[in-house]
Amino acid sequence: MATRRPQIVAFGGGGFSMESENTLLDDYVLALTEVDRPRICFLPTASGDADHYIVRFYRAFGASRCEPSHLSLFRRETSVADPRAHLLAQDLIYVGGGSVVSLLGTWQAHGLDLALREAWLSGVVLCGGSAGSLCWFSEAVSGFHRGEPRRVLGLGLLPWSNAVHYESEGGRRGAFHTAIRSGMPPGYAANDGAALHFVGSELSQVVSSQAGARAYFVSPDAAGEVVERELPARYLGHDSARCAVAA
Amino acid sequence: MPTTSGDRRRILALGGGGFTAAEPSAALDALVLRLTGKRVPRICFLPTASGDQREQVIRFQERFAAWPCERSVLSLFHLAGTQIDPRAHLLSQDAIYVGGGSMRSLLAIWREYGIAETMREAWEAGIVLAGVSAGAMCWFEAGVSRSAGRPEPVLGLGLLPGSLSVHCDSDPERLRAYLRALAEHALPSGYAADDSAALMFAGTELLTCVASRNGAGIRRITIGRPEPIQTPMPIRRLEETAPGAVARRGIGYEDRLALAEFRALRSGRYS
Repeated sequence: MATRRPQIVAFGGGGFSMESENTLLDDYVLALTEVDRPRICFLPTASGDADHYIVRFYRAFGASRCEPSHLSLFRRETSVADPRAHLLAQDLIYVGGGSVVSLLGTWQAHGLDLALREAWLSGVVLCGGSAGSLCWFSEAVSGFHRGEPRRVLGLGLLPWSNAVHYESEGGRRGAFHTAIRSGMPPGYAANDGAALHFVGSELSQVVSSQAGARAYFVSPDAAGEVVERELPARYLGHDSARCAVAA
Repeated sequence: MPTTSGDRRRILALGGGGFTAAEPSAALDALVLRLTGKRVPRICFLPTASGDQREQVIRFQERFAAWPCERSVLSLFHLAGTQIDPRAHLLSQDAIYVGGGSMRSLLAIWREYGIAETMREAWEAGIVLAGVSAGAMCWFEAGVSRSAGRPEPVLGLGLLPGSLSVHCDSDPERLRAYLRALAEHALPSGYAADDSAALMFAGTELLTCVASRNGAGIRRITIGRPEPIQTPMPIRRLEETAPGAVARRGIGYEDRLALAEFRALRSGRYS
């Protein structure tokens, strides 16, 4: 197998758990593996390994097009013997949403933080939405807390900050700006349906499963004021293909 | 239940059974309520170790609905959009019941939310801390967890000295791993508890061992040469508690025994 570059696709929201009829983002990450029947492992940790979530994963990633598995950190009866080896053997690791604080604490307790870094460096594509996006960055603004969104430290594979459901959930955008103004690293904010594709630690492109889904780079200017720059996004649906042909 | 002076810290550690395991007997669950000494105790179920598994929550509601108590479930995975302050909520309880699952995940999440410290506060405030499996071992210095599949030692909160291994009768592989860890001095001495057997602590002293089923036992296991020494503990079979009988019956024979034991302990050692 040729050496693959480290890749992360961070969804602002979307994928099988949020867009049951829209497989564009999930198709996109599967294709990134460049394997006919990729091995894909779902990590439902942030949801507490919620059964309904795991079932939906297997429904979305049928055995006809990939080799699906999941790794449970709460149910020993479904856990694999050697999580690290299992993760390193994947083509794609798909992290589900939920509580990013619970996610990161649990991963650390099970040594998955290190295993995921190894997997990333060895070319296993990492992806996920919501908490499954925030976790890859050095810092993030999480909404999964009592009261206001708050800053949390992520795994730091990507040296940026991140916000998800950026304009759809009240308070996220304001909290992200406040955090960046007070010293959080500049970073990327994505709306539902928009996904940030990183190669190494640099953004390669923004893709979307919904026409008009937006993503932003948010950073302080010289005066310390927060500047939001909208990023061009490539819609993955047929409409864009038709437009491209027409153009 | 004495709460005015002496050591009011209490922990009930179940080796298995109780409502989460859908145990036919409700005696251990009822004991948790009775230990509070309250007529209508506030009891909070923490299903963190199972990832807030829905079945556990439903079973909690079903079992405790039969008794006079104020039930709540604290789901750390679903705090988003709520105004729940986990610490304040826990400290307002009379009993906290911790479900089983992954001990490693349980403690990691508690640490993230500062609940490890809250549990100590709750314990010192006299809130009954109860739990089953991972929710029982977490109170000790260490337990033997299947969090990673194969049973292996995992550090706990350390409110209680020593170690605990659970499901002693139903999971022989775990007991073997426990004995091996003790032989290698990887764990401090402790107890191995069967399903439906529980250890009741006042402060850090083991007060009594109880069981909700005949034959369920608890062994004291101490580091020895060449093998760890296993000593069966005296155990008291709990009377069956009919649904709704907790308040109607008031304080029963076992409770009087337990009370007497609490009092003896308090006057002998703590007053």
